Amino acid sequence: MLKIKNVTKYYGTFKAVDNLSFTVDKGEIFGLLGVNGAGKTTTFRMIMNLINPSEGSITFNGKKIDYDVTDNIGFLTEERSLLTKLTVKEQILYYGALKSLDEETILKRLDRLLKKFGIEEYKDRKINTLSKGNQQKVQFISAIINEPKLLILDEPFSGLDPINIELFKSVILELKEKGTSIIFSSHRMDHVELFCEKLVILVKGKSVLEGYLKDIKKDYKIKKIKIEGDVKITELRKIDGVINAIKTASGYEVNIKDESYVNNVFEYLKTKKNITKFVLEEPFLEEIFVSKVGEAYGK
Amino acid sequence: MENKFKFLTKHSLKKKIKNKWFLIANVIVALITIAFVNIDSIVTMFGGDFNKPLKINVVDNTGYYENVKTGLKGVESYLGTSKLKISKIDDIKKAKKKLKGTDDILLVINPDTNNIYNIEFITDAYVDTVKYQAIITSLNTTKQGIALDLSGIDKEKLNQISSSVEVKRTFINEEKTEDEENTRTLLSVSSLIIALPCFMLIMYLVQMIGAEINEEKSTRGMEIIIGNVSPKTHFFSKILSSNLFVLIQGGLILLYSAVGLIIRKFTTDPSHQGMKAIKEAAATLDLSGVLEMIEKSGILNKLGYIIPLIIILLLLSFLAYSLLAGVLASMTTNMENYQQLQTPLMIISLAGFYLIIISAMFPGALFVKIASVIPLMSISLAPSLLLSGEIGVGLIIVAILLLMLLNFILIKFGLKIYKVGILNYSESDLWKKMFRAVKEK
Repeated sequence: MLKIKNVTKYYGTFKAVDNLSFTVDKGEIFGLLGVNGAGKTTTFRMIMNLINPSEGSITFNGKKIDYDVTDNIGFLTEERSLLTKLTVKEQILYYGALKSLDEETILKRLDRLLKKFGIEEYKDRKINTLSKGNQQKVQFISAIINEPKLLILDEPFSGLDPINIELFKSVILELKEKGTSIIFSSHRMDHVELFCEKLVILVKGKSVLEGYLKDIKKDYKIKKIKIEGDVKITELRKIDGVINAIKTASGYEVNIKDESYVNNVFEYLKTKKNITKFVLEEPFLEEIFVSKVGEAYGK
Repeated sequence: MENKFKFLTKHSLKKKIKNKWFLIANVIVALITIAFVNIDSIVTMFGGDFNKPLKINVVDNTGYYENVKTGLKGVESYLGTSKLKISKIDDIKKAKKKLKGTDDILLVINPDTNNIYNIEFITDAYVDTVKYQAIITSLNTTKQGIALDLSGIDKEKLNQISSSVEVKRTFINEEKTEDEENTRTLLSVSSLIIALPCFMLIMYLVQMIGAEINEEKSTRGMEIIIGNVSPKTHFFSKILSSNLFVLIQGGLILLYSAVGLIIRKFTTDPSHQGMKAIKEAAATLDLSGVLEMIEKSGILNKLGYIIPLIIILLLLSFLAYSLLAGVLASMTTNMENYQQLQTPLMIISLAGFYLIIISAMFPGALFVKIASVIPLMSISLAPSLLLSGEIGVGLIIVAILLLMLLNFILIKFGLKIYKVGILNYSESDLWKKMFRAVKEK
């Protein structure tokens, strides 16, 4: 289990991370979210033992993170971390050896993973000759070549087409099934929603929201109602408890202050004809994210 | 961690050696080194004016032709020619006609009641100053000899006047010998030849460390690497692999020189015919004679401790340059910035070479002696000054101690900068960050 306890990091006088705490259990996918500069990369760097926290502690399975522990951690950076003049095989051998793996093990795993990602033919090709998507695959392979117990994925789907995103998703879920703890960071909230059971949203280094996704959604009072039928948007907006109503391609979306106002909308719809759809939905993570970050920035 | 250090060092060294450019560069270096060792033979092989015999025709109106001829033969080595031909011609008109379009010289000796003889020096082309002065000196000396002869001085006196002064070289310190004096001069000159490849190797070293660190820094690869090995392990693996590479390269240059010497020996072997011109040229540097001279001088006993001291100085200097290069490379974010930051290092190294050239003009200069112990410059200056006897072993030891101190400082504080620098991708507040890193406990 990864345990981040009251971690603060200063760069000079600038506080990059402010009293952050969370845990990631075995086989759990944890979302670390935030806008650019929120402190995600600094947190990853502290977990990877690249920098030390100014205050607080980080442990993995009860042990302070050192170079023996990082042998069991995989790290996929947001920006490219490949040495582009090397071939795929040389690159994976290099990073694999840094994880204390022997050459035979690395090559065996490499062959299996190259096959899984459908890039066996690129094994002896220089990385700088590969497409962005294939480079991302190689980078992902380099992060999981040590079959990590903890995997840090910073924007893993960057540069991938939808088919390859599906491939990555399946591999990530496979790793989860095998018991790998995964920390996941992405600007794509639909991806986070798909994977993460637990998450934290950082704003200016401080946690503004944390917990299990289902609880977060439940606790988030603003609900969404989807409507299809002959209604007037101006009338919808006038209903007591409605925050906002918009017209979409197929109908209308209405945000209400909380669940108790559902009835008000329902009563209004009863007066209308041709209502074909009325659904109360949980809010999307993106809305919660925007709302929380907006609150923190005073917008 | 020890295994990772070994792996990183091996990986870095392998990357440098198992590289087609290493092979190409070495083929070029080998050819240049072998050519350099045999440069006189090569120049001779291609031929040139120096190959042509110099013809001096003499129209003698005085009867001193034989004296003049002997005098001119005496300065043959200063005339820059492989062969000197001196002929007597009677008809001045014909002789002048023959001069046209050649580099030949015509000397017309006319009687002179006040001055034994006067000379008309006739050529079609310009004559270089050295050649002209050598001929004039010879003619003056010949004239003085004739004048003395005519003065009626007896032969014994005449011999006393014309023979060279006998010089007995004496040293207060009885351990010093004339042979060693000559050998030291020779060795100090040859140490300059050795110093140049050293400068080249230092350039290699500084460039290589910078390029390798910047390559890893140019992507976030450095984060993956430093996430798995400590910056200290990473730093020293780069230092060790680069120094090993430079030592291998230095060894290869020595090997190429040895091949060059073997070729030289082959081309100068008397049993091989048909290479007369090359042999003649190569014979101007008689290596076996040089070795004999070194052996006779007794300096070999001293080289027993001089060479190890120079090797220690060399290794410590390489280490200092590589440590500095590593620290500077960690601070930069791309190769262009590194190129600029490493320029002062190159200038320091170059300053040493300029100083060694200047030192020949200012023997015993205190400034040069002080510079010879300054780290980074000492490698260029100290060996040559030690071999020429300008400085003693004491100053070499001081130079070594100062280098050790510099290396200690670079490891202690440089490593702190390196730890922060390699994960720094921004140029803003760079120096502030580095000073903060040095202050950190």
